[in-house]
Amino acid sequence: MGPWALAFRRLRHDRAALVFGSLSLLILLALLAAPLYASEVAHTTPVENHLSDRIVIDGRPTYVLSLDGFPIGPTWEGSYFLGADENGRDLMVRLLYGARASLAVGAGAVLLSLLLAVPLALVAGFRRGRTDAVISRLFDLLWSFPALLTGVLLSTSLTLHGVDVGPFQIGSGSKLIPILVIGLVYVPYIARPLRGQVLALREQPFVDAARASGMRPAAVMASELVPHLWTTLLVLSTLLLVNAVALEVALSFLGAGINPPEPSLGTLIDSGLDRKDIIFSPHLLLAPCIALVLIILALSGLAEGLRRALDPHRTLADFQVHGR
Amino acid sequence: MIPFAVRRLAAAVATAWVASLLAFFMFWTVPNVDPSYFLGGERHGTDFTRAQAREKWGLDDPLPTQYVRLMGDILSGDLKCFYGCASLREAFVEALPVTVSLVAGAGFIAVGLGVWLALICVRHRGRWPDRAITALASAAYSVPSIVLAALLWAFVATKWQLLPAEGYVRLTDNPYEWARHLILPWTAAALPFAGAYVQVVRASLLSAVDEDWVRTARAKGLPERKVIRRHVLRNGLIPPVNIWGLDFSHAFGGFALYVEVIFGLPGVGLLTADTVGNFDLPPIVALAVYLAIVVVFTSALVDIAVAWLDPRIRRARPSS
Repeated sequence: MGPWALAFRRLRHDRAALVFGSLSLLILLALLAAPLYASEVAHTTPVENHLSDRIVIDGRPTYVLSLDGFPIGPTWEGSYFLGADENGRDLMVRLLYGARASLAVGAGAVLLSLLLAVPLALVAGFRRGRTDAVISRLFDLLWSFPALLTGVLLSTSLTLHGVDVGPFQIGSGSKLIPILVIGLVYVPYIARPLRGQVLALREQPFVDAARASGMRPAAVMASELVPHLWTTLLVLSTLLLVNAVALEVALSFLGAGINPPEPSLGTLIDSGLDRKDIIFSPHLLLAPCIALVLIILALSGLAEGLRRALDPHRTLADFQVHGR
Repeated sequence: MIPFAVRRLAAAVATAWVASLLAFFMFWTVPNVDPSYFLGGERHGTDFTRAQAREKWGLDDPLPTQYVRLMGDILSGDLKCFYGCASLREAFVEALPVTVSLVAGAGFIAVGLGVWLALICVRHRGRWPDRAITALASAAYSVPSIVLAALLWAFVATKWQLLPAEGYVRLTDNPYEWARHLILPWTAAALPFAGAYVQVVRASLLSAVDEDWVRTARAKGLPERKVIRRHVLRNGLIPPVNIWGLDFSHAFGGFALYVEVIFGLPGVGLLTADTVGNFDLPPIVALAVYLAIVVVFTSALVDIAVAWLDPRIRRARPSS
């Protein structure tokens, strides 16, 4: 029985992991179906204002925004399921799109982190010596600064002027900026544990054998080392995804992530934090908060389950991402 | 001890210097900076007004000259903003005690709660109190402090008006009001960390419980309370202390930002959020440098404190 089959068997008997895994899957499906929900059920888009619309509740026509400007609360029906916001936009649609944006940015950032961290960690751990010292110093430096602060500062200066480095050109306001920022900031969080594993792996006899048979270092890394790192990468990247989503929310909340009117969970929380909204329309704050907690709960439960299944000896137990 | 502290502080100075270089490159040169477009006036100005702006701000000088001039301005507190700003250094120094109050209090609560609950877990390991606390801890860890802060501010402070919703009172002016203004921010910031710490400390203590010297201590008839305090806790707290140190120094640029924004605490987080909102490059570089200094030296001080507690670390080479 291979290690993957064993891991799968462990996962299958792990009730908590199964529950959180199916919850994650459910959330993912709901987010993928967001455009369908918007066009077929709610008949609107996330950014469409309905300042003077009326809908029928209990057979009576009701204004989406009352005459004093207060949005209606949850109707628990197709349109305005969770109520409207101060511009008469459907909160459920905005929530689905916002969570989608937050998760997409998080996933993109994790992918970018992996793309940068894996080669760096492989080279540092495999070549050791001066290369390792330089790369590791770089990780240490980035590691010693709080992710959120680096993210906010970087994102602001990038947003201010766009990115124009050689072939990379990103306009200001692009969703690629938060992806770039979060992806860069989290590189050491993947690369540091990975480098440790590579350092240990390169002393194994099979690596000696590969090198003795004349394989070039790049080939040794690709075909001998990488296959041993898949489980670590899977566990690390799911754990990191949770934090990347949380970081995106914090960045957008501070106005350094996804820009309004396009929704993100962070901007939704921010706009729900209005003094008069708290008294009259608490749904504007409660809905994104509950959605964020559900997403984080589901993803971190899944991540912990994967860790238990794929890392039974708990070599990754110390891994913890800071700055939630 | 002294040599370790000196080495650690020297490393901190070097890190802060590299950070200032990085801040300069990241925020001044890479992001397609041609501030003259912004300084030249309406619609990017004319060639003439842009040339004037470049002249005035010295944007055509070699980069090292610009670096030295900018850092000199930042450290002397005489920063020249593109759009005009008050002395950022004074504002920063004034805001720092607020953030220190927030971060230290939250850290104290998180660590205290984490260790206390973990001790209960260890004492009842495998039985229901252990399981209940572990489950509660992972639930607490899943509620990000931004959500906690938003909900506490909205309901406890604004809707039910049980505690102040914004502002800050100095500890030296009125300790009671100081604590009242900070209870909610502390709670919001501390709970997720406490959840994480329960798990970390519990795991660390559980591995210490199985050590030989603990068995020996029990065999010689020491009461369980003493065994845990003297032999389990002292060794089991060493790994978590390093995590606390990192979290503590990171907090200045982590939760402090949004917690201070939500609760209107006039600390460095709010200052950063305000400054960043003005979209002015020199103060962004300045804040990056100031906060880098705070973060780097906090983590150096924490490391020195840890080394003072654990002699084994003193002999190791300090890492950045």
